[in-house]
Amino acid sequence: MHPSLETVSTVIVNFKYLNGVSCLLLSGASCVLVVSNIDLRTNAPITKPSAFLKSSVRDFILNVNNDYRYMKTGYYVSLHAEILGNSVVPTTENAIDAYRLPVLLVRASKNGTPVMPYILTDSVKQIMAEFNFPVVVFAVNPFSFNGFQTAKNRTALYRALKSLSMNYRYAVCAQPLHNEILQVKSFFGECNIEDDGVKEIAKKVYETFKIPVCKLLLQRFDGEAYLCGLQPLKMEEILPSDVDMISKIVSRFSGKGWFD
Amino acid sequence: MTRIACFVEKYNFTYSDEAEALQCFKQTAEQMGHEFNFMFRSGLSEIPKYDAVFIRATTDPLYTAYVVSRTAWVLGLRVVDDPESIRICANKIHQYRLFEKYDVPHIPTLFLNKEEFHHRQIEEIFELFGKPVVIKAPYTSFSKYVEKVSCETSFREVAKRFFRRSDYIVVQKFMPSRFDWRVGVLNGEVLYVCKYMMPKGKWKHGVKRRGKPSFIWGRTVTLKRDNAPQRLKETALKACSVIGKGLYGVDIKEVNGDYVVVEVNDNPSIYRGQEDLRDKDIYEKIIRFLVE
Repeated sequence: MHPSLETVSTVIVNFKYLNGVSCLLLSGASCVLVVSNIDLRTNAPITKPSAFLKSSVRDFILNVNNDYRYMKTGYYVSLHAEILGNSVVPTTENAIDAYRLPVLLVRASKNGTPVMPYILTDSVKQIMAEFNFPVVVFAVNPFSFNGFQTAKNRTALYRALKSLSMNYRYAVCAQPLHNEILQVKSFFGECNIEDDGVKEIAKKVYETFKIPVCKLLLQRFDGEAYLCGLQPLKMEEILPSDVDMISKIVSRFSGKGWFD
Repeated sequence: MTRIACFVEKYNFTYSDEAEALQCFKQTAEQMGHEFNFMFRSGLSEIPKYDAVFIRATTDPLYTAYVVSRTAWVLGLRVVDDPESIRICANKIHQYRLFEKYDVPHIPTLFLNKEEFHHRQIEEIFELFGKPVVIKAPYTSFSKYVEKVSCETSFREVAKRFFRRSDYIVVQKFMPSRFDWRVGVLNGEVLYVCKYMMPKGKWKHGVKRRGKPSFIWGRTVTLKRDNAPQRLKETALKACSVIGKGLYGVDIKEVNGDYVVVEVNDNPSIYRGQEDLRDKDIYEKIIRFLVE
């Protein structure tokens, strides 16, 4: 990651990484360097985040990671690419925005995505004045793994707010709950659900934020789908069939230009 | 007339000096013919009604303040601190990488990865920087999450704690000094200059007393900005130029007549009778920048 770090410790460059670079040099500028912590099955060379963070490659970087949370390795891969002056997907700005619920909803709705109404607050009274029960409450704090809780009555809401706001130190984001929360895995804006509304949202969210791998939280209401939130995927949530899907899309991208 | 929202949290009113400074901002803005309202968390839905947002609550991409900044930015309002500055200043890894790229003189710095953290590397760091070294978490602010270590055991203990929230941490050479320069910069111009003295027998400006929850802070000695050393001001402006055009507080150490940047902070603290002691026009300048 840092030039003088290489003088401190001997850097072992793995072969996979070297192959990656030579391929890039041979095939010219249309090539994309794929950095991923997921074991993709593609012909395209895949660089591990740890190797990429020590390199100074100049190219388009496609950062495929299960988790782009702020200050996690996935985030630092995008940051490293940006500091080297590369174009990268996703950008650090988008990575932070997509995981900060109020910003996600503001930007998504600006881009024409149907989103659930929400308020950002730390007061039960304000939530009750705004919405009828049941409601869903999302954490907006630095610590939880973007958790959410649902509340059917006042007592449950107090309990949810106290825990998700970490004893009222941070704000939470509250939304009305019309139906159960639907969790959909989205890979480059594609998902495995046969529902046009959901498919459209996944596509729109990818257009706006370019988060290659994520979980979308949605609600269906009156025959329409609405965006509620976006979360990182845990490694164990990525099934072999998902890896196949990601690999297929990555091969498609690395074959030709995919930046629009 | 410009409508300015000042985003604050309850703790901004804990110290009377800070609360008074906030009142100074309000008075100055109103004297200049603008509207200036304090906005708390419960008023966030009112952001679109304003023309400018001035953030005084602690900023970090994971705090509410970033949501405020980013929302205002997306809606096209004028914001101090802007989201880009928050992202760079709140993450010291990001900041030092930029200093390296653009040759800003800074304290010798290394980055340490969670996965490559082992015995030999610690030894090599001690060989390179000597003992002790300073470990910083990327999200440090108010002298918190900055610790001095001089043996492997404490190195591991501190690093383990900081690795909980970040996969990278910062290790720096220890450079003791009686004070850090603090240069306030706004839009590429020096706003104020002061010295943040270290409390007696301590090595950083704010330290927690052993076994007690309270923090003690060093004194602040303020200079007239026109009387401060020219090279100091140039160093501060150079450091800010790689970050942006907002409001910053630059910490600088003077080592054998040279100036090295410790860090640049967004959202610098402005207390009445401290930062504003010698240059009274800082409130006016900030308000003017917000309504431009």
